[in-house]
Amino acid sequence: MEPDGLQPRYSALSLVRARLSSRPFWRPLWGGRRLQSAYDVVVVGAGGHGLATAFHLARDHGVKRIAVLEKRLVGYGNVGRNTTVVRSNYLLPENHYFYEDSLRRWETLSRDLNYNVMYSPRGVVDLALSDDDMGRLARRGNAMRLAGIDAELLDCAALNRFCPELGVQTPRRFPIVGALVQRRGGTARHDAVAWGYARAATSLGVDIIENCEVTGVRTAGGHAVGVETTAGYVKAERIVFATAGHTGMIGAMLGTPLPIETHLLQAMVSEPVKPLLNTVIVFIFPGHGETYIAQSDRGGLVMGGHLDGFPSYTREGRWDRMEDVVAGAVELLPQIGGLKILRQWAGINDMTMDGSPLLDRIRYDNVFVNAGWCYGGFKAIPASGAAFATLVATGTAPDLIRGYNLGRFDTGHTLDESGGGPFPVRQ
Amino acid sequence: MNSLHCPFCGVRELHEFEFRKTRANAGRSGVAEVYLRVDSSELSVEYWQHVQGCRMWMLVRRNPSTGTVLGIDALPEVSR
Repeated sequence: MEPDGLQPRYSALSLVRARLSSRPFWRPLWGGRRLQSAYDVVVVGAGGHGLATAFHLARDHGVKRIAVLEKRLVGYGNVGRNTTVVRSNYLLPENHYFYEDSLRRWETLSRDLNYNVMYSPRGVVDLALSDDDMGRLARRGNAMRLAGIDAELLDCAALNRFCPELGVQTPRRFPIVGALVQRRGGTARHDAVAWGYARAATSLGVDIIENCEVTGVRTAGGHAVGVETTAGYVKAERIVFATAGHTGMIGAMLGTPLPIETHLLQAMVSEPVKPLLNTVIVFIFPGHGETYIAQSDRGGLVMGGHLDGFPSYTREGRWDRMEDVVAGAVELLPQIGGLKILRQWAGINDMTMDGSPLLDRIRYDNVFVNAGWCYGGFKAIPASGAAFATLVATGTAPDLIRGYNLGRFDTGHTLDESGGGPFPVRQ
Repeated sequence: MNSLHCPFCGVRELHEFEFRKTRANAGRSGVAEVYLRVDSSELSVEYWQHVQGCRMWMLVRRNPSTGTVLGIDALPEVSR
């Protein structure tokens, strides 16, 4: 494999040059590095958050020796399993400021990484199917607008103009009453995000080591000094865990109970069809629960819903939840009733007790955890990487993520976006 | 996992049951009971309710990595 750090810069010119050149132009974007015996920072987990953290540590804080250790392959976990929605339509200030910072970074991410992440601001539509829904959405929209985030409450006529495919006026059992729309929300290409960060981090000298599982943390004098891995012991000044879905296991490994349960969220995609839906629709259909649906650039309708509803590491979704999601989708868009489901899969989520993430030290003063993203991890990647890198590099959490500390459960400052109480399954 | 064996009603489909919460296992303090858990990939001890059946609560032991149910017990009238 090519030594890295020599990644060509992608541009229209580089495309032309590659076309005219007889030499092979495309190189592996990462890999080919050997695991060293000591690092300034070891990041565990080469998903979106781990790679973004490594990238920002190298680019913004000048950290020289960084390794990202991955049990399987880059992007094997939730960064490649989500439904690619990016948005910042949150109610609580801590959440909407953080996710808005993230959404602003999404807007320039392709340029920042020199890699097309296919950010597509096609709008995120939260549908109201009752007056109650409308009140709830108006409250959330007002909270967002007070924070300077775009949100529009649409009545039926305006919604019909925004998304005619919905057939707002069609007589239904539960008629559409209105919607909250965030026009800058939308989708991005999830795999490209992992690949783009991996490529950018590699160019900055980060060692990405795949198929290297961390099995333990070695300590001395109340300090972590390194990690045990399947490829041998690695000394580390600082250790970062970004192992979404398996943070519960990290807590068990470190002997630290965490406010986390591990649940499944499944998603599915239909066979590809011609353009049908040009936005992301989210709604709670009475009797079926939540459904969200968007059309991928390939044409498949990507759908998801609520958690499976009990702790699991299996990556297999339960059948009746899939039925609920599809039933909701077909109630809303009867024209898709004849489509076949092409694929179905599930991701393992760190569900926290208040539904908000954890970005903090864990157990030791030089061990950090980036976890608890519930099902909101993908859209958070750019902001999380930048803010968390600041915490790891300087030891002080920036204001943006101060609310996401581990101590909030002790002090009663939980960030319970859904108001569901200390039950991860209700977040 | 598509069904559960209710101690009162027998084998019923999973959608009849509702997972309520995991059993606290991280200490006796209030915060630990409410918020903290020690995760395990081999054993998860959970409270479930047969909401669309007899409405009784039960203690379910499962392996969360395989989905295998290891045991289901009715809760005693007065717990603890």
